[in-house]
Formats: sequence, C-alpha cells, structure tokens
Amino acid sequence: MKTFMSLITGLALTGFMAGNALADAAAGKAAFEANKCAECHYTQGPAQEKTIDDVWAKKGPELWYAGSKFNADWLGAWLADPKPIRLLAFNSLSDPNPGDHPKLAAGDAVSVKDFLMSLTAAEVEAGSVKAKKNPKGKLIFTKKMPCSGCHQYPDKSGNRGGKSGPSLVEAGLRLNPDWILAYLQHPAVFKPVKDMPNFVGILSDKDMINVSRHIASFKP
Amino acid sequence: MNRTMKSIIFATTLVIAVMAGAVPSVAEDVEKVFKFYCAQCHGESGDGKGINVTEDFPVTPRAFNNAAEMNKLTDADLRNVIHEGGPIASKSEMMPPWGKTLSDEDIDNLVIKLRALCQCKGKQG
Ligand code: HEC
Ligand code: HEC
Ligand code: HEC
Repeated sequence: MKTFMSLITGLALTGFMAGNALADAAAGKAAFEANKCAECHYTQGPAQEKTIDDVWAKKGPELWYAGSKFNADWLGAWLADPKPIRLLAFNSLSDPNPGDHPKLAAGDAVSVKDFLMSLTAAEVEAGSVKAKKNPKGKLIFTKKMPCSGCHQYPDKSGNRGGKSGPSLVEAGLRLNPDWILAYLQHPAVFKPVKDMPNFVGILSDKDMINVSRHIASFKP
Repeated sequence: MNRTMKSIIFATTLVIAVMAGAVPSVAEDVEKVFKFYCAQCHGESGDGKGINVTEDFPVTPRAFNNAAEMNKLTDADLRNVIHEGGPIASKSEMMPPWGKTLSDEDIDNLVIKLRALCQCKGKQG
C-alpha cells in the first residue's frame, strides 16, 4: 500500500511539474509578445527566407528552433543579461555589434526561456554528438576547411579567427551539440539562405560529427 | 519516351533536387551575390580587404582589381576555384567551396563580375 501511495504521489508530482512547465511556457509566450520580441524574431517554423533580400530584411535571428539550438541554462542567463554573440551588428559587414539587446527582468527571463525551450526542430537527434576534444574536428576547423576564417574560437593564445559569422568562443556553453550537427547536415531546414557555405557533400557525416564535437568543446 | 513524359520526369527531378536543398536553382542579382557571399573576405570593392582579414588570417584573399594576377587565370580556372574552393588550385583552404551553395548560373555571373573588377580578359584557353 505504501509503495502504491508513493507511486500515486510521484505520478501526481510529475504531472504537477509538467503542468508547471507548460504554464511557464504560456506565461513566457505572453511575456515574449508584451516585450515586443516578435518585432525582430519569428518563432514559427519553417524557415521563411527565400532570397538574399529576405535575409537582409531581418532584424534578428529566427527563434523557431531555439529549444533545440540553445542550452537552457545559458539561455536563461543571457536573456536577463545579454552579451554580444556576433562581433558585428546584425547583417553588417562593417559596424561593430552595438551590444544593446533588450534585457528581460529576472522573472520574465525564466518564463521566456521556458517558452523558447519549448520550440524544437524534429531534425535534431538527441545524443548524436558528445562534446569532447576531438583532434580530427580541430584539424577540420582550423586547417582543412575555412571555418576559422569566419568564426572566432578560443585558442591558447586568446580568441582568434574571422568576424562575419557568430562567435563560437562560448559555443560549448551556448549551443546544444546535437544542434550543431543538425545545422551542418540540414542547411535547407535551418538556413536556406546564408553567407556560410553548405558543407553537405563536402564534409562526410563522420567529419560533421567530429567538427561538431570540437565546436561543442569551446569554452572561453 | 514521349515529350510530355520526359518533361514530367524532368520537372519531378527538379522539384526533388530543390526540396533536397542541394543547390538553389534560381540565380540572384550578381551584385547581391558578391556582397552577401564574397565581400566578407574579398572586400565590397573586391580589393581583398574584407572584414574577416584580420592579423589571424593566414593568407591574403585575392584582390580582384589586381589585373596582373587575375590575368594568369582563365574563366574556367575562376569557375573551378569558386565551385571547389582554394585547394583545387593548390591555393589556401581559406577560400571556401561554393559549389553546394551557389547555382552554376550564379557562379557564371560571378566570373563576369570578377572580370569587370579586374578589367581584364584573363588567360585564354
Ligand atoms: C530590435 C530588434 C530586437 C528585439 C526587439 C529583440 N531582439 Fe533578440 N536579437 C536581436 C539581434 C540583432 C540578435 C543578435 C545579437 C548578437 O548576436 O549579439 C538577437 C539575439 C537574440 C537571441 C540569440 C539568438 C541567436 O541565434 O544567437 C535570443 C534568444 C533573443 N535575441 C531573444 C530575444 C527576446 C526574448 C527578446 C524580447 C525581450 C528579443 N530578443 C528582442 C534583435 C532583437
Ligand atoms: C564564409 C564564412 C563562413 C565559413 C567559411 C563558415 N561559416 Fe559558419 N557561419 C557563418 C555565418 C555568417 C553564420 C551565421 C549564419 C546566419 O545565422 O545567417 C554561421 C553560422 C555557423 C554556426 C551556427 C552558430 C550560431 O550561433 O548560430 C555554426 C555551428 C557554424 N557556422 C559552424 C561552421 C563550421 C563547422 C564551418 C567549417 C566547416 C563554418 N561554420 C564555416 C559564416 C561562415
Ligand atoms: C573565408 C574567406 C573567403 C570568402 C568568403 C571567399 N573567398 Fe575567395 N579567396 C579567399 C582567399 C584567402 C583566397 C586566396 C587563396 C590563396 O591565395 O592561397 C581566395 C582566392 C580567390 C580566387 C583566386 C584563386 C586563384 O587561383 O588565385 C577567386 C577567383 C575567389 N577567391 C573568388 C571568390 C568568390 C567569387 C567568392 C564569393 C562567392 C569568394 N571568393 C569568397 C578567401 C575567401
């Protein structure tokens, strides 16, 4: 009987917790709208961009797969205290990132995080990439392929690399490793039009896993 | 096989290729293509001084206004290196492969644009 009771309590608790997360996501959606986040970010997939002009017209990155892309802890902290991710202002090849992203109050940051984490993409397969130092991936990133020409990354001597792509210096804290792989494997799903080359047919699936692992090991 | 049948097969293959997201089949305005994909390294004016060329960058991207250098290459060389990336021409891997990103028509238009920038015809061959 005792076991039965604790089973019931357990079940009820789980149900309560799930219900709570749903409630937070709903509150987060309301806060997302109230804070005018939707003026610069769309949250409904699939990808809408078909031309270069469509990309240039955007005021911020799409967030319809945010729950697959970001680590929840990083996202919650960033929403309350955003720091520049891209080195340059959005869609600019000259101006530095002004670092003026809207900030959310602590409570809203938690609920908006729950809302964004509820937005996922089916193409991201959980457990496909383990963050780990990976010599093959490192060779691809810095030598065999032009990745480092467009992305900053952490090195023993400090941060180095190009500026046109988002900085990957914090990628290990910021990004879900499984998403990095999905991003490389499914360019048409996540970024049908982008200034980074498609590597499908250039890098094998194995090498995409290697380089994803390497990126997922980046810490500032 | 009759004509209609052939064109149906052709259209279906095209749709599948587009859906697979392989290579976009619609060419865009070459000025936009150059600014969007190439200027980040080669500079908006093609002078080789794009925003990515910091002191960490191992080589200098080709300055397209350097007629002497650009004249050493045929149009086919240009097409090939844009499609496959630097290593195909024994050049740096920092020159990315664009063949899975740009359509053949986009690449042909870029070759014409580069010839306008260098004001040169290139090696004939
Ligand atoms: C004026 C336009 C604008 C508004 C309003 C805005 N953002 Fe952003 N957002 C941006 C830009 C630009 C970036 C890229 C920032 C960077 O790289 O440092 C960004 C980045 C982000 C990111 C990281 C996305 C990524 O792929 O790197 C998240 C998450 C985000 N915003 C959430 C929000 C939320 C939540 C709100 C509402 C409180 C909001 N944004 C309001 C423009 C905006
Ligand atoms: C020519 C420049 C360029 C090269 C080369 C390049 N990238 Fe990118 N990369 C970009 C740009 C620009 C973006 C952002 C695209 C967007 O959001 O529209 C990006 C985005 C990314 C992202 C997602 C980052 C985020 O926070 O959204 C990852 C991961 C990535 N690149 C990995 C790679 C890897 C791995 C390679 C080499 C195999 C590579 N990149 C080569 C320019 C480049
Ligand atoms: C990530 C930086 C980067 C981007 C983006 C880039 N290039 Fe390059 N490109 C280079 C570098 C570096 C070289 C010089 C390689 C060398 O000399 O070893 C180069 C060389 C070239 C050459 C000369 C090759 C030769 O044999 O001399 C051509 C042509 C060229 N690029 C065209 C383009 C075009 C067209 C685009 C846009 C679709 C483009 N590049 C985008 C970095 C880049």
